[in-house]
Amino acid sequence: MIEFELNGSPQHLDIEADTPLLWALRDNLAMTGTKFGCGMGLCGACTVHLDGIAVRSCTLPIAAVAGKTVTTIESLGGEHPLQKAWVEHNVPQCGYCQSGQIMSAVALLEANPSPTDDEVRNAMAGNICRCGTYNKIRRAVRSVITPDTVSTAQIFDPANPEGEE
Amino acid sequence: MSLSRRQFIRNVSVAGGALTLGFNLSGCSEQPLVSVSEGSFQPSAFLSIDETGEVLVQIHKAEMGQGVVTGIVTLIAEELEVDPARVRYEMAPVHPAYNDPDYGLQITGGSNSITGSYDILRQVGATARETLLQAASIDSGQDQAQLSAENGAITSTDGSYHATYGALVRTARTLSVPERVSLKTRDQFKLIGRYEKRVDSQSKSDGTARFGIDAQPDNCAVAIVLHCPHFGGKLLDFDAEEARGHPGVIDIFAIDEGVAVVAEGYWPARKAGEKVKARFDAPEGVLQSSEDIRQAMDQAFDQAKFRSVRKDAPRSSPVPGKQLEASYHLPFLAHATMEPQNATAWVQDTSCDVWVGSQSPDISKAATARLLGMPSESVHIHNQLLGGGFGRRIAPDTVLEAVAISAKLKRPVKVIWSREDDTRHDFYRPAMAGRLQATVAPNGDVSQWQHRVVGPSLYQQIVPQFSVAIIPAWVPDAIPRFAGDWIARTGPAAVEGAKEIPYEFDGVDVQFSNFQTPIPVGYWRSVGHSHTAFVVESFIDELAHQSELDPVAFRLRHLAPDGRHHRVLSAVAELAGWGKASEGHYQGVALHESFDSVVAEIAEVSLLDGKPKLERFFCAVDCGQVVNPDIVRDQMEGGIVFALTAALHGEITVQDGAVQQGNFHDYPLLRHNEMPEVEVLILDSDAHPTGVGEPGTPPAAPALANAIFAATGQRHRELPLRLG
Repeated sequence: MIEFELNGSPQHLDIEADTPLLWALRDNLAMTGTKFGCGMGLCGACTVHLDGIAVRSCTLPIAAVAGKTVTTIESLGGEHPLQKAWVEHNVPQCGYCQSGQIMSAVALLEANPSPTDDEVRNAMAGNICRCGTYNKIRRAVRSVITPDTVSTAQIFDPANPEGEE
Repeated sequence: MSLSRRQFIRNVSVAGGALTLGFNLSGCSEQPLVSVSEGSFQPSAFLSIDETGEVLVQIHKAEMGQGVVTGIVTLIAEELEVDPARVRYEMAPVHPAYNDPDYGLQITGGSNSITGSYDILRQVGATARETLLQAASIDSGQDQAQLSAENGAITSTDGSYHATYGALVRTARTLSVPERVSLKTRDQFKLIGRYEKRVDSQSKSDGTARFGIDAQPDNCAVAIVLHCPHFGGKLLDFDAEEARGHPGVIDIFAIDEGVAVVAEGYWPARKAGEKVKARFDAPEGVLQSSEDIRQAMDQAFDQAKFRSVRKDAPRSSPVPGKQLEASYHLPFLAHATMEPQNATAWVQDTSCDVWVGSQSPDISKAATARLLGMPSESVHIHNQLLGGGFGRRIAPDTVLEAVAISAKLKRPVKVIWSREDDTRHDFYRPAMAGRLQATVAPNGDVSQWQHRVVGPSLYQQIVPQFSVAIIPAWVPDAIPRFAGDWIARTGPAAVEGAKEIPYEFDGVDVQFSNFQTPIPVGYWRSVGHSHTAFVVESFIDELAHQSELDPVAFRLRHLAPDGRHHRVLSAVAELAGWGKASEGHYQGVALHESFDSVVAEIAEVSLLDGKPKLERFFCAVDCGQVVNPDIVRDQMEGGIVFALTAALHGEITVQDGAVQQGNFHDYPLLRHNEMPEVEVLILDSDAHPTGVGEPGTPPAAPALANAIFAATGQRHRELPLRLG
């Protein structure tokens, strides 16, 4: 029996310990927002958060999730600023990779609230989009950066390289 | 294609006491529509309105990212006078009313969804609006001329009357829908060319969009299939004793395609599959490796028989000049849709339900009926969203696997392919070879243009596959095979884009030699144009440089000055600042017409440590009247990305009749950090809409290769580009 927290609620599953979290979500919990793309952690379609960190659920055994907190696309509720930006910019084409793209973008902004274009490019390089929506993804991510955080990020003070208050 | 040829509107059936009408595009439907719902006003197979005013549109095309849902909804909403964002939509069932007027099949491909439905869907909206106006006239006692429709309601000009569409449904149901009414003129459009939203963005951003792989009927088992790795090989035998003991396994048995391992979920099925010891034979014979295939194709240029597909008589005696000759090679390519192939089936005693994201649900339906020996009316295809299509999801292969497995187990079964299955059992863009020669005079005149193409014709394989949907089951298989062979001789898909070059060269001669290999081939975004554009536009660049003329000026010189190609090429040159690239930046250009749209692209590269680095892409497109400008820009950009993936990374190789690549580490796709900025310019046009989903792809690889030549002086005549 593996117990963990999923989108704020306790979950327990009695499945083989090596079952990837992806298939526990999809087959055991009927939560299909997280997608299967490659099974090797190469494409990012299955991205979820484990204790707030973006991980590839297709290669993460359920045993490694025990006692931890898992967050999936379903938890964002459709009203997250990034989801609104996705809709505003008409980002998705086929849409299949976008759950993973959004979960990676959420994690990126939590770690770095005002990424530059190049930082978005590099941080999002693990999520493949076959339709080629990358430029729109980047614009959508950058659009949710508040003016405050942009100005803080863009002023580099050599005397205070860490940006400490 | 004229509207009259499509036999426009006719009554189909009377159901539920309400008059219902069906649109018939193919002229052969007598089947009742399955989607008729009592109490709704259903003026056509595409549209119904219920008493709450909810508008429901049937999507008769596959949504694979190209934005067809938004396009269809927009065309109907324009004439119906409703907000597209408030229209509900669902994937249409298989029905002859939804057949594509060009193909006679309910198929999505060839970039023709909007071009083929543009007039029909506006008529759907317009005739419904007129009927509602008539109902309002009866309801209000006012003359119809005093009433107008706007935003889902009808009001009188004097403001004394207002009724929502929902309130008029009861009356509208009793009226006959006019056969056709006049459509808005361009200056009256509120949505066409202006609407820039997508109606499916929300569900595709919150995880609720349902793709084929998300279908989950009650009590559904999951199956994997162990396929023979070698094309044309067969299962010899298998030992599943150990695998049967794996937790969650339901059954393991052989089907035509290999060994089916069925379990309570994907993971137990996959794990159990690893324990199955299956033996497959590896067919011996020739052409079992990509290297052999390439060599044999090269030999074919000297030894094989060529058929002429175009031969223009020379207009003048040969002009003295330099003769150029070049050979080009392109590899097999996989589609690599992000959603691996899958299908869900539930075969019961007298019916079969299938959930799949399919570009050709009627082929799946016919093939299923044939496999089960069941009347096709008993097979129900529930089409889902496609996590990418690009031509891959025309074949019914996974559907037949799911049907065979469910038929044996008598319960719903979802077949899910691994990424490796998907990469190794595709219907590949064929490997192709091309040889070009031409004479270029010092002034740039081109004569004696000869283009010879060697490669597999798609139709030899595809026609027999398609025929299940259109040819009755009693017709012997030899007949569609013969038809396929016959069409294959001139390889229409292999020479498209080579045959109809826009340049006015003297003495154009295009030839084709059909060269079949054991590798299954199929449609791949832009089909033949994906290779002919590279060959033609690379060679033209060579001719331009040979005559020391600017590549844009050289092309313009050979184009009709008042034609679309001239206009599009001039536009992209202006957009990109051709000839004025900043220091250290180099540009390359290509122009290509496909699916009746003309696209020109300019790639801009720089050199980083002597290696070309992609900086920017510019694109100009003439696709006739635009319906949704944002989607057109997306499709151009996405088409460029698709081509760049192929140009920079794409290569399927074969050894011992088996594909050597398996996943994204050895069949890489373009990633975000490699993505160039893309600027797209849509040329204003009031002509009938032309293709959008594919035409962005063909010019991108030659534009890039030509830019690399400009930067490095190195001419690349094969893909993928070896940039060292």
